[in-house]
Amino acid sequence: MIKSKQTNNNRISWLGIKHINQTVITITALLTCLVSFFCALSFGAADISFIDVWHSVGPAKAENDIGYIQRIIWDLRMPRAILALLAGSGLAVSGLILQTVTRNPLADPYLFGISSGASLGVVILIAFTGGIFTVLTPIAAFIGSLVAMMMLMLIAGRRQSQQVESMLLAGVALSFLFSSLTSLLLYHTDPQAVTAVLFWTMGSFSRAQWENLLFPTIVITACITFMLAYRRQLNAMLLGDESATTLGIKVNRFRLVMLLLSSLITATLVSMCGGIGFVGLMIPHIVRFFVSQGTVFGILLTALVGGIFMVWVDILSRTVLVNQELPVGVITAATGSLFFLTLLYFRKNRPS
Amino acid sequence: MSQHSKAATSLLTAEHLRWRTDGTLILDDITFAITQGSFTGILGPNGAGKSSLLRCLYRFVKPEQGVITFEQDDIWQLNANDYAKNVAVVLQETPSHFNLTVHDVVALGLIPHKGIFSRASSTDNEKIEQAIEQVGLTHKTKQNFENLSGGEKQRVLIARAIVQSPRLLIMDEPTSHLDVRYQIQVMELAKSLDITVIASFHDLNLASAMCDNLLVLDQGKLVCQGTPQEVLTKEMLSDVFGVCAHISEHHQHKVPHISYYYGYLTSEHEHGEIHD
Repeated sequence: MIKSKQTNNNRISWLGIKHINQTVITITALLTCLVSFFCALSFGAADISFIDVWHSVGPAKAENDIGYIQRIIWDLRMPRAILALLAGSGLAVSGLILQTVTRNPLADPYLFGISSGASLGVVILIAFTGGIFTVLTPIAAFIGSLVAMMMLMLIAGRRQSQQVESMLLAGVALSFLFSSLTSLLLYHTDPQAVTAVLFWTMGSFSRAQWENLLFPTIVITACITFMLAYRRQLNAMLLGDESATTLGIKVNRFRLVMLLLSSLITATLVSMCGGIGFVGLMIPHIVRFFVSQGTVFGILLTALVGGIFMVWVDILSRTVLVNQELPVGVITAATGSLFFLTLLYFRKNRPS
Repeated sequence: MSQHSKAATSLLTAEHLRWRTDGTLILDDITFAITQGSFTGILGPNGAGKSSLLRCLYRFVKPEQGVITFEQDDIWQLNANDYAKNVAVVLQETPSHFNLTVHDVVALGLIPHKGIFSRASSTDNEKIEQAIEQVGLTHKTKQNFENLSGGEKQRVLIARAIVQSPRLLIMDEPTSHLDVRYQIQVMELAKSLDITVIASFHDLNLASAMCDNLLVLDQGKLVCQGTPQEVLTKEMLSDVFGVCAHISEHHQHKVPHISYYYGYLTSEHEHGEIHD
């Protein structure tokens, strides 16, 4: 035990990250975000140089701006990049909430069955109304994720003392259940719709348009604000249910509210861009490695890093294959599962 | 002391507490009163109900019968947040795998005193730093809580309780898993706070040295209570704990000191007989 503790210390001091200033991190993160955004506007099927991007976005309007570049940037890539940024920060924060209130570092909306519940909601809507994506989609997704959450609480919440442990197991089982139901429904749906739905379930930002960005922006900003307001209570949950109770927190109610918040974020994002897994798992871990997650700074940085990561995933999805778009979920699942395995491998060597 | 004046100086009282889980009676008709400013130790063998009793006192479980009052108010009538302003609790459970600094953990003590959007003021930060200094961990303020030793973690949790500025501190086996040095350190720290303390103990000699008042639980019943001199008798030790011991006076502070007898199958001592 002593030995593994030492390796843990060594790992941290070896990276020399314990004393990095907050301002340095903030400036780096913001700059990276800006650069990533620029790249997202520049890279893609149509080659647009940084200069053109700068002319189009920058303050100095060029006289000879070319119409189609302007349109590609403003009508296609900009809303897409914004959606990716929103999705990344939303999922990262949603994962942070889940990991905190369940005290399980492996929690993620995808693993908890919340994403698949939301997907099922959407697929049911499509199967029964025929319309592909309508105003009702986010509502169906939220209902689906709520059903998943309710079932989770019902199964896991019976015994207070083991709530956290059984929640994870139940989440994984529910996730499979909902996925199988989704497949069953798809099997009986019109083949043309199936292709669209399948592509959507694998995650894509192709539906990004200015007019449907407003709703996720509001939801995610509101949720992050709410989380910042309750950051102290969230931290207290990390000390265990009993300790949190002694600090005057109504633990079960607080956990329920936070889980609902997390479902709301997940459902909003699923209805917009499908199932994107593992971001919620990965990002909070990476950030936690550098800064204390308990602060306002920690929460905001988690959101920002999640956003940056997702912008790059989107860039990759548009550029890896020529003239084709790779589903976003494929990329996040590939990086995420590798990360997950690494995490498990290193956790094995740590005292529990 | 008459019953009436006792009630007047009592900070916390429990009357006829009864609590059961899964059909087993865990706490059975427990009544006691804690005097303001006293240091109370709860003793008893494993499974006697020490932790359950403390859980009732810090409102984690609600007894099915009986009333607990804090300053004459039923604790279940009080607002959870108001109760947390008055009563801080140090438990032994510690979280893992989360990067919270020592400062963050100590800052949790502010929760009952802070509104949701309020920032920590400079006075709050001073309070936090002072509490960390009081437990002697200033040099580790920015360190990860998880990388601390057991004794240091316990001291951080006490610092958190100090920030909570309670009138009553409850500690559940604060010294288990700690080296002797830290056992004494943690207990003296708790004593130095000059507030009412209730703590459960495994080490009877430590309890004898620290407490003004002892409660002994056995199978959910309160079997005796009083000063260490009244409670720590060889009869109690053999009845409740099933051990044979000699009680002497601690040569430093004159409290009862217990020496256990070992290998009494061959012992020739008068207390050495085994009762089945």
